[in-house]
Amino acid sequence: MIDFLEKWSFFGGSVLLILIGLYGVITRKNLIKIFIGLSLMDTGINVLLVSLGYVEGGIAPIITSTINNNSYNFVDPIPQALVLTSIVIGVAVLALGLGVIIKIYEKYNTLDISEIRGLRW
Amino acid sequence: MELLLLLLIIIPLLTAFLIPLIDIINKKARRILVLAASLAEFFTFLFLVINNWDNIADGTIFIIYKMGGWLPPLGIVLSLDMLSFYFSLLITISVMFLILYSIGYIGHHEGKYYVLIFLMWTAMQGVVLTGDIFNFYVFVELLLITSAALIGFRRNKKGTIASIKYMFYGVIGGLFIFIGIILLYSNLGTLNYAEISANFTTLPFNTQGIISILFLIGLFIKLGIFPFHFWVARAQSTAPSPISALLSGVVEKVYIYAFLRLFWVVFDFNYIQTTGLDKIIIFTAITSSIIGHILALQESDLKRMLAYSTIGHLGIIIAVLTVNTKLAIIAGLLHVLSHLLMKISLFTTAGYLLQFVPSHQIKDSRGVAQQNMFVFAGFIIAAAGMMGLPPMLGFFSKLYIVKSFLDNSYYLSALLTIAGSITALIYYARYIIYGFRKIKLNSPQEFRLILSVLYRERLVTNIALVFAVAVLITGLIYKNFFGPLESVANILYNPSIYIDFILGG
Repeated sequence: MIDFLEKWSFFGGSVLLILIGLYGVITRKNLIKIFIGLSLMDTGINVLLVSLGYVEGGIAPIITSTINNNSYNFVDPIPQALVLTSIVIGVAVLALGLGVIIKIYEKYNTLDISEIRGLRW
Repeated sequence: MELLLLLLIIIPLLTAFLIPLIDIINKKARRILVLAASLAEFFTFLFLVINNWDNIADGTIFIIYKMGGWLPPLGIVLSLDMLSFYFSLLITISVMFLILYSIGYIGHHEGKYYVLIFLMWTAMQGVVLTGDIFNFYVFVELLLITSAALIGFRRNKKGTIASIKYMFYGVIGGLFIFIGIILLYSNLGTLNYAEISANFTTLPFNTQGIISILFLIGLFIKLGIFPFHFWVARAQSTAPSPISALLSGVVEKVYIYAFLRLFWVVFDFNYIQTTGLDKIIIFTAITSSIIGHILALQESDLKRMLAYSTIGHLGIIIAVLTVNTKLAIIAGLLHVLSHLLMKISLFTTAGYLLQFVPSHQIKDSRGVAQQNMFVFAGFIIAAAGMMGLPPMLGFFSKLYIVKSFLDNSYYLSALLTIAGSITALIYYARYIIYGFRKIKLNSPQEFRLILSVLYRERLVTNIALVFAVAVLITGLIYKNFFGPLESVANILYNPSIYIDFILGG
C-alpha cells in the first residue's frame, strides 16, 4: 500500500488537481473562479512534470570535486527548468486575465458569465 | 551567418523592450525606432536570402544555430529549412507592412501597441525557427498572451469580452499541447524535434495515438477549427484592423506551420493514416469550412463576416494538407500564401473604408465607393480572390485544391470547397453592391465621422493597395511558385533530411 502510494501519489495528485481545475472551469459562473480553475490545471500539470524528474534519494545534478562518479542518482534537471518556465507563463496568463477581468467588471458591473452576452460559450 | 537566425528573433524582442525607454526620452522618436526596427528585421531577412540564394533556388537551404554552442540533442537549436523559410518569409514581409500600416492607423496608446506587436513578431518568428518542442510551446504562449492583449486593445465592452474568451480557448489549447510535451518527454527523454522524430516510431502504438490527438486538439483550438470555432469571429472583429489582419492572416498561418512541422516532420504521419485519423481530420476541417462560410453568409457585420470566412478557408487548408499527396500539399501551401495576401488585403482596406461609415454593419456601407475608388477597388480585387475568380491567386490555389480532392476521391470535400466559394461570392457581392450604392453628398466631409483615429491617410491607403496589387500579381505569376513549394513538400516527405542535418551537423 505504501509502495503504491509512493509510486503513484505524484501522478494521482497531479491528475486530481487537473480534474478539479477542469471541473471549476466548466461549472463555475464567476470569471475569477474560472481563472482559479485554469490556474489549478496549470499547477497540476507542473506537479506532473516535476514528478517525472524525481529520483528516489537523488541529489542535485551538479558535478563537484567530491561527487563526480555517482551520476546515476542525479535528479533529472530538465523538468525543473521546464516547470520554472511554465510557472512564469502561468503567472503571465493569470495576470493578463485578471487585468481583463477588472476591465470587464468596470464595463458590465458583473462577473457572472451567464449575465454577459457572448461569454456563455 | 548562423547568427542571422538569432537576429530575426532578437531584433523585434529588443525593440519591444526599447520602446518604453524611448517613450521616456522622446515620444516622437518612437515612430522612427519602430520604422527602423521593422526595416532592420526585413533587411536581416533579405541578407539571409541573398547570401543563400543558390541554396534557396534549389531548395537545399539548411541553416542551424546552436544556442550557446551546445550540440543539438542537448542544447536548443534554431534551424531554418525550406518549410521554415517559406513561413518566415511570409511573416517577415507581411508583419513589416502591417507595422507600416499601423503607423498610419493607430492614433492612441501607441507605445503599448508597438510593444505588443513586436513581441508578437518575436513569437511568430520563434515558432517558425525553433527546433525544440518546449521552445515551441513557450513561443506559442507568448503569441497567445500578446495577441489576447491586442484583441482587448480598444478597451470597450466588446473588446474585453473578446480578449477573455480568446484567452480561455488559447490557454486550454496550450495545456493540451503541454500535456503532449510532457508525455513525449517522459517517454523519449528528449525535447529536440530531430531526436523525437528519429525515435517516435519506437513508442507504443497507443502512446503515439494519445500524443498525436493531444497535439491535434491543442492546435485545432488555437486554429479555431469547427468544434472550437466560437472565439474566432469575436476576437478577429473587435481588434483594430491591422491586428485583425495579423490574427487572421498571419497568426493562423503560424499554427498551420506548427501543424505541418509537428505532424509531418516530428511525428509520424503514417500513424495518422493507418489509424484512419486523417479521414476524421478532413471531415472536421471540411465541416468547419462550410460552417464558417454559412455563418459568414448570415452575418451583418463586415469584420465578423471576414472573420467567419477565415474559418472557412482554414478548414480547406487543413483538409487539403491532410490528403497528403504532393499536389495536395503544394495546393495547400499555395492557398496559405493566397489566403494570407487576400485576408490582409481585405482587413486593411476594410479598416480604411470603415472610417467613412457610421457603423460596421454592411447595410451602412452605402456610398463608400463614391469617395474611395482606389481602396474600394483593392477590396474588390481581394474579394475576387476570395471568391476564386480567374486572374487572382485564389482561383489557382482553389483549382489545385479541388483537383487534389478529386484525384484522391474525396468528392464531397471537392463539392463543399466549390460550394464555399459560391457562398463567398454571395456574401462579398452583397457588401460590394451596398458599397456601390450612391447617396447624396452635401459636403465632401460628410462621411468623415470618426476619422480622428486615422491621421496618415496616404500611408494607410498605399499599404492597403500594395496587398491588393500583390493578390493580382501573384495570380499572374502563380506558376513560379511551384518549384519552391515542391521543395517544401520534399522536406515534409523526407523527415530524415531534417534529422540528418540537425543531429549530424
